Amino acid sequence: MNRVLGDPRAILVLLGPALLVYTLVMLVPIFWSLGYTVFEGNPITGFEFVGLDNFVALANDPKIADALVFTLKYAVVLTIAQVGFGYLLALIYVFWLRKASSLVRTLAFFPVVLPTVAVALLFQELFKIAPVNGLVNDLLNLAGIPSVDWFASPDTAFLVLILMDLWRSMGFYAVLLYAGLVDIPDDLFESARLDGASGWRLVRHIVIPLSLPVLLSSIIFSVNGTLKVFDSVLALTGGGPGNTTTPLTLYMYQTSFTYGEYGYGSSIALLLTIICLLVTIFIFRSSRRDLTKG
Amino acid sequence: MTTARTRARRFVPLIAGLGATALLLSACSGDSGGGDATAPTDFTYLSFAENTSIQDTLTSLSTGSCSAEEEALPLDITTQPQASYDQQLQLLAGQDALPVLFASGNSPQVAKDLNDGGKLVDVEAALEELGQTDAIIPAARSTVEALYGGDVFVLPTEFNVEGIWYNKALFAENGIEEPTTWDELTAAAATLSAAGVTPFSADGQDGWPLTRLVGNYLFRTIGPDALQKVIDGDASLTDPEYVEAAAAVAELGEAGYFGPSVGSIDYMTAVNQFLTGEAGMFYMGSWILANFNDPEQNKIGAENIGFMPFPEVEGGEGSRDQLAANVGVPLALSEASYGEDVSAWLDCFAENFGSTSLGEQGVITGFAVNEPVEDLPPLTQAVQERIDQTTQSVLWFEALFNAKAAATSQTNASQLVTGAISPEEFMEMVQADLN
Amino acid sequence: MTATFTDRSPRLIRFARRVPVWIIIGLLLVVVVYPLFWLLTGSLKTQEEFLNNPTWALPEDWTNFSNYVEAWTTGNLDVYIRNSILAVVPALFFTIVFGVAAGFALEVMVWKGRGPVLLAFLAGIMIPGQMILLPLFTIYFRAGLTGSLWPLIITYTAIGLPLTVFMMATYFRSVPREVFEAATLDGANIFRMFWTIGFPLVRNAIFTVALVQFFFIWNDLLIALTFTTRDDLRTIQVGLLNFTGQFGQVQYGPTFAAIAVNVIGTLAIYLFLNQRVMKGLTAGSVKG
Repeated sequence: MNRVLGDPRAILVLLGPALLVYTLVMLVPIFWSLGYTVFEGNPITGFEFVGLDNFVALANDPKIADALVFTLKYAVVLTIAQVGFGYLLALIYVFWLRKASSLVRTLAFFPVVLPTVAVALLFQELFKIAPVNGLVNDLLNLAGIPSVDWFASPDTAFLVLILMDLWRSMGFYAVLLYAGLVDIPDDLFESARLDGASGWRLVRHIVIPLSLPVLLSSIIFSVNGTLKVFDSVLALTGGGPGNTTTPLTLYMYQTSFTYGEYGYGSSIALLLTIICLLVTIFIFRSSRRDLTKG
Repeated sequence: MTTARTRARRFVPLIAGLGATALLLSACSGDSGGGDATAPTDFTYLSFAENTSIQDTLTSLSTGSCSAEEEALPLDITTQPQASYDQQLQLLAGQDALPVLFASGNSPQVAKDLNDGGKLVDVEAALEELGQTDAIIPAARSTVEALYGGDVFVLPTEFNVEGIWYNKALFAENGIEEPTTWDELTAAAATLSAAGVTPFSADGQDGWPLTRLVGNYLFRTIGPDALQKVIDGDASLTDPEYVEAAAAVAELGEAGYFGPSVGSIDYMTAVNQFLTGEAGMFYMGSWILANFNDPEQNKIGAENIGFMPFPEVEGGEGSRDQLAANVGVPLALSEASYGEDVSAWLDCFAENFGSTSLGEQGVITGFAVNEPVEDLPPLTQAVQERIDQTTQSVLWFEALFNAKAAATSQTNASQLVTGAISPEEFMEMVQADLN
Repeated sequence: MTATFTDRSPRLIRFARRVPVWIIIGLLLVVVVYPLFWLLTGSLKTQEEFLNNPTWALPEDWTNFSNYVEAWTTGNLDVYIRNSILAVVPALFFTIVFGVAAGFALEVMVWKGRGPVLLAFLAGIMIPGQMILLPLFTIYFRAGLTGSLWPLIITYTAIGLPLTVFMMATYFRSVPREVFEAATLDGANIFRMFWTIGFPLVRNAIFTVALVQFFFIWNDLLIALTFTTRDDLRTIQVGLLNFTGQFGQVQYGPTFAAIAVNVIGTLAIYLFLNQRVMKGLTAGSVKG
């Protein structure tokens, strides 16, 4: 059996193309980029060896601290929000809507497929204050609350950003989590009900423990995506007001391509990659543990 | 600048209708090996995707006055969106694959870097060789020299003066005379504000229309060399006389003279506010004439719009005669591909670009107009005359800054005006990126 | 009387229990469908309506299709859509074929070192895309690929691989090993086994991964901006930037029309494939 399933030639044929493309297009450029971290300059002015200067600058740059804090804040808040709401929706699908959930699932999933540019434009219009109020401010006025200039202060801009990404991704996480929930055998619920468990207690003692693996994957999946946030920030706030909503990815892009500081930009990318790699190892560990369990 | 409405039909793709395989094969063998280009086979021009007037003028030249040059070296236009333009230029320069002619990037620093790397044609010398020394008008030449440290290595395909446009009817209704000093300006703003009119319409989302005011204020108080001193290290933006300028603009915001939520107003909205009579004044460059001359957009009538230079500040070194000017995004020529055919193109370009651009696009350039253009709209005519009278011009706030400081200045401008950050903090942030 | 009461009560209760369900469905409808409706009506408005009328106002002229004409002619939408298809379809094909094969090799087959290789692929999910742009541009330029759609196809394939490999590996993991072991005992050739047993087993999963990847690639802006050096190679997302002017002027109408065309296209694909996707996502997905 192992002769067939361990045939080196077959492994090479099956794995080879993917590994080759992946190595050439992802791994090689990554290490190439890492090489830039000890240089300063850009393709126009040429590169100059500066040793560890970039890392010293990295440690002392207040904008890095701001961007890092923003990135982490965004990742944590959005992960809690999108997995939380996704889970809530999934629970509604499974226990409330049951068979009728297909239409709702389809509807809630739909925003996932829209282009970022379009969604950002939509939210800008919904939350705008000038020259005329957007829908949100109109509704606030109806309730007797004065209009809010949503994009003028860091906190409200952050809120709109979170709302936008929540709107976009909630349905996706709902379906992912739904997949985990429908697999829970019905007789488990029945026996729990017979023991007198119901409502919240049922969820807490039966549903959450049993769907923990899929919940964990979703969280890790979400953290990864949110740490690398780029498009939605760029399209919605452009990093503003000031640089209060600038994540590491955007700061890195600006540093490299707008300010022409490749070396420094690569150092920022390295920082981000290290953060992401820590998450990778975490994901890998947890998925392996799960494998040995099952 | 006249945007897509007047946009000519885009470059028609040669590959239309072919199947995927054919496309990929042909494209694959097509554009390769440009690494060590010497004699180009096309007059390649890389443009901002957003700017169509230069593309259209060049296309018009290639079928008209410059058809002989087109024969020898056909024009080939490619475009790149502004957002990724500098990046693209860096990538191309890194491969020694710069196009023959190209827009010189989002900030003047890009062209300076390219020139320092010996990648640009010395336009001054090239024009002299062609006997075209007078092709660039004096005002444009002085702006270019101020901008690029005394050298001319770009072609001023646009020349704009900047100042405050005002609504004559609103001024008359409220008994306001054209302000010549800062105090008169703020008084006028107060009067308009009291009458329920937004005094200034400004695009706070992009930020630069606000920092333009800071820059102009500095040129009026400290003099035309105010920002050169900062670059040379003889002064700092955090000095009290510099912070004063930021504070003056912040005060306008505090008084509500930009209307509510200036940070959320984008360019089109700002233009619209002025052109529907909601706002009394509008600081902008003369490229805006295209919008002013369009009756669709202009509800107050072109005859109702006046232009005034930025006012003087009492006791300041600068004067109203020093009009703020810029050359838009000038073009640069790649040294690597400069040869006989390209210099023939440059010759024809220098000769005809000014009048073709003004006549067909209504865009004022830094090139001498070799044949008079008839039937110009009166407002354009007036601005053109103003330019002819101008002997000394000043730049704008970020003109001499590196890209990082320029970005910091523009992204924080609306915060300065809304009071989210103090004038001191604003100037400190920008100065920090200059060091 | 008691009879009717007991007869009615469960129905009433059942009705009462359904009310919140309808409220939720209604709310979702509003939250999801209204923006789409707003987008479509926006594409019929003039620039002046955008600037001077309230956001929620309906278009003044329901037959104003000039924005679409504008988007189509000066916006070159036809070229951009074709480019997007030409870049996305091959990339998707390569990603799926390579990814499924690699997932099979990494999960079903038995060999030393598959842990580290899987980890290497996983690391790719975390890499910020911005990081590989400059080296890649140099590579493509030296290889003479700039000026074609190949850089897009290759980059999309590579960027899609980590997630595809990871998800495929998890799907194969959920297939009982006995299925493959039995096949080897029957003396099946490994490639045959891959095609006749492995591939069909994860067919739903492939649809899911393909759809997720499709929307990711289709909506990409960063890579398309960097590697398309010519206007006639531009993709639809980059094309949407065409309606913004040099000083930040936005032509709202044509922008909305272009987005509407884009969205209606993706919506059609989505509705067409939706059933399969939901099935696929539910069938295994990224459960640990």
